[in-house]
Amino acid sequence: MSKETAMPSPAKYVVRDLDLWYGPTQALKKVTMDIAPNAVTALIGPSGCGKSTFLRVLDRMNDLIDSVRIEGKVLYDGVDIFGDIDVIDLRKRVGMVFQKPNPFPMSVYDNIAYGPRVHGLQDRRKLDEIVERSLVGAALFDEVKDRLRKPAMGLSGGQQQRLCIARVLAVEPDVLLMDEPTSALDPISTSRIEALLEELKKRYTIIIVTHNMQQAGRISDGTGFFLHGELVEFAPTREIFTNPRDKRTESYISGRFG
Amino acid sequence: MRNRLADRGHRARIAGQAVAFGAIRAVSILTVAILALIIGFVAYRGLRYSNATRGPVLQYSEKVPDGLSLAINPLSRLESIDFPVLYGMFTDEYINWAKISGQDFDLVPTIPDPSSPDGKAASKLLFGSSTDPDSAASMLGGLVKVLPDAAAALRVVETMPGAAALVPASLAEEAARAGKVKTVPLRRLVLAVNDEAAALIDNRSVEDLDDAAIARLLEGKVASWSELGGPELPVAVIAPSGGTPLASAAAAAGYGKAECAGAKAPSAGPAEADRIGAIRDTAGAVGLAFAADAQAEGLQTLTRKGRESGWNLTLRYLVEEPGLSGKVGGISTIIANTFMMLALTLVLAGPVGVAAAIYLVEYAKQGALVRAIRLGTETLAGIPSIIFGLFGFLFFVDILGFGFGLLSGCLTLTLMILPTIVRTSEEALKAVPKSLREGSLALGATKLQTILRVVVPAAAPGVLTGLILAVGRAVGETAALLFTMGSDYKLAKGLFSSARSLSAHVYLLFAEGISFDRAFSTATVLIVIVLAFNAAARLLVSRMDGGSR
Repeated sequence: MSKETAMPSPAKYVVRDLDLWYGPTQALKKVTMDIAPNAVTALIGPSGCGKSTFLRVLDRMNDLIDSVRIEGKVLYDGVDIFGDIDVIDLRKRVGMVFQKPNPFPMSVYDNIAYGPRVHGLQDRRKLDEIVERSLVGAALFDEVKDRLRKPAMGLSGGQQQRLCIARVLAVEPDVLLMDEPTSALDPISTSRIEALLEELKKRYTIIIVTHNMQQAGRISDGTGFFLHGELVEFAPTREIFTNPRDKRTESYISGRFG
Repeated sequence: MRNRLADRGHRARIAGQAVAFGAIRAVSILTVAILALIIGFVAYRGLRYSNATRGPVLQYSEKVPDGLSLAINPLSRLESIDFPVLYGMFTDEYINWAKISGQDFDLVPTIPDPSSPDGKAASKLLFGSSTDPDSAASMLGGLVKVLPDAAAALRVVETMPGAAALVPASLAEEAARAGKVKTVPLRRLVLAVNDEAAALIDNRSVEDLDDAAIARLLEGKVASWSELGGPELPVAVIAPSGGTPLASAAAAAGYGKAECAGAKAPSAGPAEADRIGAIRDTAGAVGLAFAADAQAEGLQTLTRKGRESGWNLTLRYLVEEPGLSGKVGGISTIIANTFMMLALTLVLAGPVGVAAAIYLVEYAKQGALVRAIRLGTETLAGIPSIIFGLFGFLFFVDILGFGFGLLSGCLTLTLMILPTIVRTSEEALKAVPKSLREGSLALGATKLQTILRVVVPAAAPGVLTGLILAVGRAVGETAALLFTMGSDYKLAKGLFSSARSLSAHVYLLFAEGISFDRAFSTATVLIVIVLAFNAAARLLVSRMDGGSR
């Protein structure tokens, strides 16, 4: 992936001077970044640096927390997400995969069909189609095609996480937010999901929070380094890892803290 | 030295721990044992009855005493009859079958005219062998239908459910073979005793005798009445004369041969009246007699003590309607009322309680108000049910004017179990991981969709367990219901119709002294229902958990 495709304009997300407080604590400080479409953007940094908080801003999941206050601007496809928009619509277009697999306590099929159903789709044939397509997209179909009616909780951890990805794909988003999606998985499941991301970025904009530097290096096109709520450095991945401009980035990547 | 001390301390600690664990284990096993004991005892007592009986008649029964049969309508459940009961039937002591066979029929005793041959035999059976027709007619109760002949009496028995007739055995058995009537054997052997032997002297008199003591007495193995708790008086057994009906009855009962062994039997058989006279006049005399004769001669009888046992809880008890405050019949309508009550309570309390829990957990701002509500529900759950009963009586029955009935009772129960439902549902909802809510919201579901489609289904096992436990509490409730739901044991006909639940029935049977046995059999049904609810809750939860994991 060349530098040009890593950061093309027009950006999918334009973030300007984003500040966020949890009550009196400032969790994000003047974050400014442009996120490229159809690329994998990795967010790295030590625990508590604000990268997950930032990710949750992008589909307004922080709305669920009462004490959160946000200032600054976040444009999604040129539209201010804090402006007069439909949050439901935003979340439909921006899917999120969480750190721990969180399948609903229902069948594999119903898990995938959940999104389309809450958005009003009832047609069985179409649902069947979507379920199959999503499972194929998440590289899970072959493993579960015979147990679509079985409870999703019976799948392995790696399968559950791919199920969650399939569930997000089923609502046909164009952005995938992933909050350390492989941190609870074994190496084999992790490599499968990484391979899947490689495939998915052709069609989706992917923003992934990760603690695993090698993973960021392997799969991402651009990498942002967060520290204490600040975006210290944001650059194409190869640059960050080979020639960081900021001292703090260099220390973190070389493993001196974090 | 130090090492040894440390070692000893260590050993002491281990020993202490073992003792503590042993005690804890013993106590926990004890709780299970107590539970098993309670359930087992009530269930056993409910299934089988075993009561002490005392009365004058001995165990032996005759199917055709003096060539007669007691014919009753086939609907009657009477299987055998003691002479005092038979006597009571024809002298107005009983007007209803309740005390005779536990059935709620009016009693219609019939007898052929005492001046007819059939009637003469019947009145001799009732009032003694030396009775003449005129005095027999005067001794019959006013309720007794005196009919011209046995055939007419039998016709009444065939047509009236509560009828009974003393008629010649040949006629009765023929009708019985045709299924039109039923005949029952009579127990009429008694131990007639001389007044002096039965007298109360120095506050002592002959005690109640069990069958073994009666046999010993008649075999002549008891020399003095003092051995049986009576006066210092030699026992004189006077045996029946050979060839008389009494002699054959005694022989059939197993007393005949033995009696000859030690009895001072008059060798030449005197007439029965003379023998009775001999018993009356001989100090310390005792002998078998037919109850009617002993009664006619004014002889005292000894009391037999026995034990009677049988099935208490029968299918019949479950499916029959109760009568006479539960003294007779079954509990079918009460079971139906109980389930109606539960259904209505669940319909009233379930949706409100679950909705309140959803509001408290998902919507309410977690502040002072929610804390106050929580405190309120917790306090409410601890209020004694009798208080709910008093409140329900004042508010629903009186102020709102619903009267004693299902609605008032169920509203009171609803208030009582609502806190439990709210608390358990709250806990179940809170236990649903946040990640599920986030997962749903992140897919673009609204909050309501998330709650209805993800949170509530995930919490359903816990919510249902709470509901079933609350229903379990409702089914066992008595105090709150007596003041509000009323105590009519008939099937409730509507929301305002008074109804009795199983637990209230147990209470009333016991408290009003209606029937101890029936209180226990009802309690057994109640226990089975409560255990069934608990088992259902467990099954449901394990099913649901199995489905989601």
